[in-house]
Formats: sequence, C-alpha cells, structure tokens
Amino acid sequence: MRRPNVVLLALMLAALVGWLGLESVNVAANRIVLGTGFRAHQVVGWPGALVSCLPLVTVAILVRRATRVRLCWALVLVVLMLMAMPAWLAIAADRLVDPSLPQSRLGIGPANWLLLFLLLLSLIELRVRLALSRWAAWWLLLPVLAAWWLALAFWLEPLALLREYRGRSDPFQTAILVHLSLVGAAVGISLVVGVLLALAMRRHAGIQRLVFSVLNIVQTMPSLALFGLLLAPLAWLAANVDWIAALGISGIGWAPALLALVGYSLLPMVRNTFVALSEVDAGVIDSARGMGMSHRQVFLQVRLPLALPVMLEGVRITTVQAIGLTAVAALIGAGGLGTFIFQGLGQAAMDLVLLGALPILFLALVADTLLGVLASRLDHRRDAGVPQ
Amino acid sequence: MRWRLPLVWLSLLLALVLGMEQLEWLFRWIESGSREVIYRRADFLTLLGRHALVVIVASSLAVVIGVGAAILVTRPAGRDFLPLVAQVASMGQTFPPVAVLALAVPVLGFGTLPIIVALLLYGLLPIVRNTLAGLQGIEASVREAAVGMGMSRYQVLRQVELPLAAPVILAGIRTSVTINIATAAIGATVGASNLGDPIISGIVNGNTAYILQGALTIGLLAITVDSVFERWQRRH
Repeated sequence: MRRPNVVLLALMLAALVGWLGLESVNVAANRIVLGTGFRAHQVVGWPGALVSCLPLVTVAILVRRATRVRLCWALVLVVLMLMAMPAWLAIAADRLVDPSLPQSRLGIGPANWLLLFLLLLSLIELRVRLALSRWAAWWLLLPVLAAWWLALAFWLEPLALLREYRGRSDPFQTAILVHLSLVGAAVGISLVVGVLLALAMRRHAGIQRLVFSVLNIVQTMPSLALFGLLLAPLAWLAANVDWIAALGISGIGWAPALLALVGYSLLPMVRNTFVALSEVDAGVIDSARGMGMSHRQVFLQVRLPLALPVMLEGVRITTVQAIGLTAVAALIGAGGLGTFIFQGLGQAAMDLVLLGALPILFLALVADTLLGVLASRLDHRRDAGVPQ
Repeated sequence: MRWRLPLVWLSLLLALVLGMEQLEWLFRWIESGSREVIYRRADFLTLLGRHALVVIVASSLAVVIGVGAAILVTRPAGRDFLPLVAQVASMGQTFPPVAVLALAVPVLGFGTLPIIVALLLYGLLPIVRNTLAGLQGIEASVREAAVGMGMSRYQVLRQVELPLAAPVILAGIRTSVTINIATAAIGATVGASNLGDPIISGIVNGNTAYILQGALTIGLLAITVDSVFERWQRRH
C-alpha cells in the first residue's frame, strides 16, 4: 500500500489539464444561437483558476503514498469537489450571464463534463481500493446530490438545462411517469409470462428449444426495427377489430411499445428463471421430499426461494434494458423521456437532449443498484441458511 | 454445409435489398393510401452499405482497443488499472445505448462521425468485460506450465492465453456488434444516413410501407450477422 496509486495520479493529471485547457462553461443569448465558451481563467482570472486547481493537486500529492488514511482523505476531497461543482457554475452564472437578457443561458462546457467524469472514476477507484460496498458509494453521493439540488433550486436560474426544464416541467413529470409505467408494465408482464414459460419448459424439452430460438431472434432484432414491424399489424388489428380499438390500441403509441418491450424482456427473464429453477441442488429437493413435503410444498417452500436471487438478477437485467429501450419507443409516439431526446435532436437543442438523456441514465443506474443490492441481500440470507 | 444457415440469411437479405422494386405489389397492398410505396430517397443497397460500414469501422476499432486494453491491464505493468477498468466495463453496461448516442451529439455534433465514436465507446464495454473474464478465467497452473516449457511472455499470450479466452472474447464481440447494429439505426435521427432512414421517414410521414422496408432489412442484417457469430462460436 506504500506504492503510489498510479491510477489516481493519472486521473488527477488528466483532470488538471482538461480543467485549464478546455472551455468550462458557455454562454448564449438564447437557446438557438451558438454560445461563446469560457475557460476557467476567463471566468475567474488566473489567480482564481489556479486556486480552483488546488484540490486536484492535493489529491495527487496525497496518493503519492497510498496508505489507507491518505486514500480516505482523498475520498473526502473528491466528494467535496463534486459538491463544489454547482457552486462553480453559480459563480460563472453570476459573472458571465447578463441579468438584463431574460433568455440568456449558461451551458455546461466540456471541461466541467470531463471533470465530472474523471471525479466519478476517482470515486470508483477509491471505493475499490478502500473496499467500500456499492451501497456506501451511494451514501457518499448523497451530499453531492443535495448540493446540486440546492444550487439548482436557488442559484442556478440561468443554467440552460434548468431553463429547458422550467419551460416544460409538466410534460417532464408526465414523461417520467409514462416512462416508469411502461418499464413497470413490461417487467411485470414479462415476469409473469417468463415464469409460466420457464415452468412449461421444465416439463417439455421441445417447448424449451422453441422458446429459446424464438426469443433469441427477437433479442437480435434492433429495437427500431421491432417497433416498426409491430406498427403495421397493430394498426390493421385496430382498424378491423372493434374491441381492440376500444381498448385504445393503435399502430402507434403505447401498445406496440409495450409489446416490443415485453418481447425483449422475455429472454433474460425466461433464461434466468429457467436456470435458477433447474440449478437448485438435487440433494436439497430430495431431503425436502424425505421430510414428507408435497410437490407443491417443495416448489413453493424450497425450490422457489432458493431460485429467487438468480431470478432477481433476471429482473435487474430486464429493468435496466427496458429503461433504455423505452427511450427508443418515443419514436413511435409512446411518450416517455425519449421524447425530449428526439425533440432536442430535431431542434438541435442540446440541452433538451440532456434533459431526456440524463434522467434515463440516472434511472438505469438507480434501478441497477437497488435490484443488485436486493439480489445480493437474498443471496447472503441463502448462504447463511436463514429460512425465508 | 456448416455455413448454410448464415448463407440462407445473407441471400434473403440481398434478395430483399435488390428486389425491393419487385415487391411493390405487396407494399401497395399494405399501404394502399399513399402514392409512393417504395422508399426511393436512397438506394437500399447504398443504405445497407453505409449501415454495414459504420458498424464494421466502429466494431473493428472497438475490438482492437478493447482487447488491447484488457490485455494491457492484465499484464504486470498495467495491473494497477485493472480494478477501475473492470468496474467501469461492468457499470457502463447499465448505460442505455440511446442515452450514450444522445450524449455524444452535444459533444461531437451531427453526422456519421459522432455515431462511429458513440458506437465505438459503447461497443468497448462488452468486449473489455469479456476479454477480462476470459483472461482471468485461465487457471494459473496452465500459465505456469507454459512458462515452464520455456515460452516467453509474448508466446504465452499468443499461444496459450488468447486461444483459451477466445470463446468468451467472441461472445463479447457478438454482443457488441448486435448492439451496434441496433444503435446505428437510431443514428438515423442524428443525421447519419443508413437503414434507419426509411423507418424514421415512415414514422414521420405515416407510411407503413417505408417502415416495413427499413425494419425488414435491418432485421435480416442483424440475424445474418448473428448467425455468422453463432457458427463461429460453435467452432471454438
């Protein structure tokens, strides 16, 4: 542990070069015109810019001897830097944005994005070196999120991202709701169907081969193509079958989106459920039988609980995948956060793209962490032999 | 004969692309409302070529960089970077490809280049992760035996480690290419012209025939490529 931590040294050096060399923020008079970029020293002058580099230099000096105490201090500094980033943006907004122009806005420049990325990488590296759990990393991010929230609520009025949000706070909330309900419905339906299919596959090997080959083909189909392919038959059904039209199903909108999402979700779900149910130790099943349990009891009280962690892994993969695919579904009018991405791309309004993409990224990460932690908890309980 | 299935898919794909005009009656029947039922803004062969080119360039770069990086961090000189690279490769998989593509546009602009860069970056993750898994899955005793036989480090890598890790690496490349074909299609919304074009144009104009033409071609392309990998993987 006395050796220098080369990784953090490299990250800090890259951050330093990027911070001074790239544009930190850009300011535009309205949302259409191209903004002018400002580097760190153009925002606060050279003395200020050099002072802003101090934490980076300190971390680099700290990790020259990578003892545990020094790494802990480096961790504190990295978290503090992440918390200071919105404050930096607030300072830049105060100095550069003309308050007499109500449309003028502050964009986050490449230097800030790079710094954010490198600091998050440092956080991951420090988490691994200090052997902190994944849960702990999220606790560390809590003050950072609080700092960002505070700044966004009170001091960052001219931030372009925020202006885009203010313009459409209601559609934004609806979009999140639609996005989450589509993901929830897709995961829920595919969980039920997936378990049923897995059960049927355990009885008949023929079904197993058929289901896997069909689902494999669906999985290789590009999402845009599958959404497109579903448009035609659903439009035809809606035009020709009354009760389907009465359900609000049509060629575009939520129906083809949900159908395609379920199609994609089935493969990971069926595969994990099938493997999980099949790989329960035969000895455990035998002893349960020996204790006089009925078939149903063996399944509900032994096989299912033991298979649960692997099944949950399937739910995790499915959920994360569905969050991303729902973004594409916006193209066929299903709504959700993807709407902002494609609207923004269409209008060349990059902050609108960010307004759609950042929450999607965040949702995916949160879903991944929560379900991952849940699965590992269940796994521990199984290992400890605690009955559930 | 072992390549029969990939060849069948490939000929279906080419037949569809070249014979789109002959299918006009079919599309006319599906989309009876529109005057134009075949997407004619660009030749389907050209679109297919552009789509394939973007995917091939991005995927080849991703293979070179990804496998290279994974080899580097498993050597003594780069071992310090191993935990970080492994973590990022597995965490990065959570990022939806669409979001990555959308984030690449503000940084890199519109057009084909940003798509190649976005596909390359995203395609790296499964390759790095699988190469690491493959190399780390080799038992130490195998490596020691190779060294004991007098092999140099380079020989051990070339003749022992890479061949043993090949199936897992290949699986990673397959995942990467599949994702790239799908994401490249969405790239049509950020100004790259490829097989996503007819679909987007069909959605915008409400022309189901366009959508079907694009969707069928991309679908066949994806299945063809996947069946090639399937065949390849079975040989290892």
